[in-house]
Amino acid sequence: MDDSDEALMARIARGDERAFRALASRHLPVMLGLARRILGNAADAEDVAQEAMLRVWTHAPRWQPLALFRTWLTRVVVNLCLDRKRRAPWVALEVAGEIVDPALGASEKAERDERERLVAAAIAELPARQRAAIVLTYGDGMSNAQVAEILDTSVSAVETLLVRGKQNLRRALSA
Amino acid sequence: MDKKQSQDFLETALKRQTQAPPADDAAVERVLKRLSDPLPRQKMPLWRLPGVLLDWQFAPAWPRMAALACCAALGFVIGIAGVDRRFDAGVVPFAIASHSDIGSIVFEPEALTGARP
Repeated sequence: MDDSDEALMARIARGDERAFRALASRHLPVMLGLARRILGNAADAEDVAQEAMLRVWTHAPRWQPLALFRTWLTRVVVNLCLDRKRRAPWVALEVAGEIVDPALGASEKAERDERERLVAAAIAELPARQRAAIVLTYGDGMSNAQVAEILDTSVSAVETLLVRGKQNLRRALSA
Repeated sequence: MDKKQSQDFLETALKRQTQAPPADDAAVERVLKRLSDPLPRQKMPLWRLPGVLLDWQFAPAWPRMAALACCAALGFVIGIAGVDRRFDAGVVPFAIASHSDIGSIVFEPEALTGARP
């Protein structure tokens, strides 16, 4: 039996719950990771992933295989994350990073960890769309065209988001 | 740290900070469990409506057809044999006007011409 994403979506469109569970199991780990990186919060990421999968179920009869299923699902997850960030600003708790163990004693390691912590904190402070663009580009290694498709914008707009994001990061790190 | 080093550091740090975390199996299980609740109704597109109608089984089921025929035959027999008259036996089949009703039967003269019906 063809178990490609598109074949599973065709079965889901006919109300096949087993196909839905198979598709959810396949994509949930990646989508959870993506949501967590954009939102910076594990609980919110789970909510977003659940909502995204429910949209897969409800919208399956209307879904047209114009793009890869994964691209479409990524777009759903990113949009849900941006909506959530817009509604309730996230309090950056998880960027505090791990406390450096003084027993390790390596000042270089402490310095490196501190810089990493600053970068993480600076990323958390970025506007949601800049952060999403950075996560998709640097974290998932997507091309600007793919990111543009997911964010429903142009390639030049993605480039602008990345440039401004990095400018903001440099500014935050140099402060 | 010069500009080039700073740029390299930022690129490397961005890759490291935004890389996909290892799969959280417990979180996946939690979400899958939440998805095991009854799923909501799917949204049907309007362009699929003709297909849905074509898929509809309009052919009647034979047991239902037989039941309908039996009901029709039973009604016919009851009507022909007059079985239902026994139920109507206690009811007087015509109206009776008593003397007390006569006073209520008033024929008003026509207002303009005064003619009586």
